[in-house]
Amino acid sequence: MAERRKYKKRYCKYCEAKVDFMDYKDVGALRFSLSERYKIMPRRLTGNCKRHQDMISTVIKRARAAALVPYTVTRKTVVTAPFENLK
Amino acid sequence: MRNYENLVIVKPTLTAEEIQASVKAIEEIITSNGGEIATTDTMGMRKLAYPIEKNERGYFHVIYYSIAPSAITEIERRFRLNEELLRFVTIKYDTNREIIAFNQLVQKAQKKAAAPAKEEVAKTEAPKAEEAPATETPKAEEAPATETPAVEAEAPAAE
Ligand SMILES: [Zn+2]
Repeated sequence: MAERRKYKKRYCKYCEAKVDFMDYKDVGALRFSLSERYKIMPRRLTGNCKRHQDMISTVIKRARAAALVPYTVTRKTVVTAPFENLK
Repeated sequence: MRNYENLVIVKPTLTAEEIQASVKAIEEIITSNGGEIATTDTMGMRKLAYPIEKNERGYFHVIYYSIAPSAITEIERRFRLNEELLRFVTIKYDTNREIIAFNQLVQKAQKKAAAPAKEEVAKTEAPKAEEAPATETPKAEEAPATETPAVEAEAPAAE
C-alpha cells in the first residue's frame, strides 16, 4: 500500500493557510498551481480541496485575460519565459 | 453601488505624458458615469505574458471603485472604443467575502501609493465597512480578525 502511493499524503495548502480570497494580480502565489507549461495543475496532484481549486481556476483565468500568465506555451516561449520573469 | 476593480493595459508606444493623460481619461470615464474611485494602483510597465496587438510590453494600471452595476456596460463600451487600451479586465466584488478582500486590497494599494497619507486611509475606510449588509456583519467581523495577520505578513514582502 505504501509503495503504491506515489505522492505524500495530500492536504489542501490553502485550507491550512486559511485563504479566503485570492488576488489574480499576485502571480507569485499562482505558481504553485501552474504546471511548467502554465496549465492549471489538477487537484489529484496538488491535493487542493474543491473549494480552493475552484477559486484557483477562476483566478488563473483572470490572470490569463490580464496578460499576467500565458494561455499557451510553445517550445519557443518555454525557454524565453521561465517562472522568474513573471514574479 | 457595487465594488469593482478595473485593470487596464495602456499601449507602451505612447510617451510617459500620453500614458498619464490616457490614465486620467480612463478615470474620468468612471467618475463621469457616477463612479467613486476608492484608490488606484500603478503596476507600471511590464512584460506581457503574450503579445497583444504585436506589443510585447504594456503599462498596467489598476483602479478600485464603486459604481452602480448598470453603468458598467457603458464604461466597458467606452473602454472598447479607446484605441490606447490594449486590454481591460473588470472584476466584480459582490459577496461578503469579496467585499472584505476588496477593502484589504484598497488599503494595501493606498499604503503602497502614499505612506504619509495614512489619516485619509482611515477616513475613507470607515464608511465602506458600514456599507456591508447588516445581516452579515457578524461574519464580516470574524473574518478580518483571522485574516489580518496573514495580510500584514505579506505586506513587507510585497514592498
Ligand atoms: Zn482548501
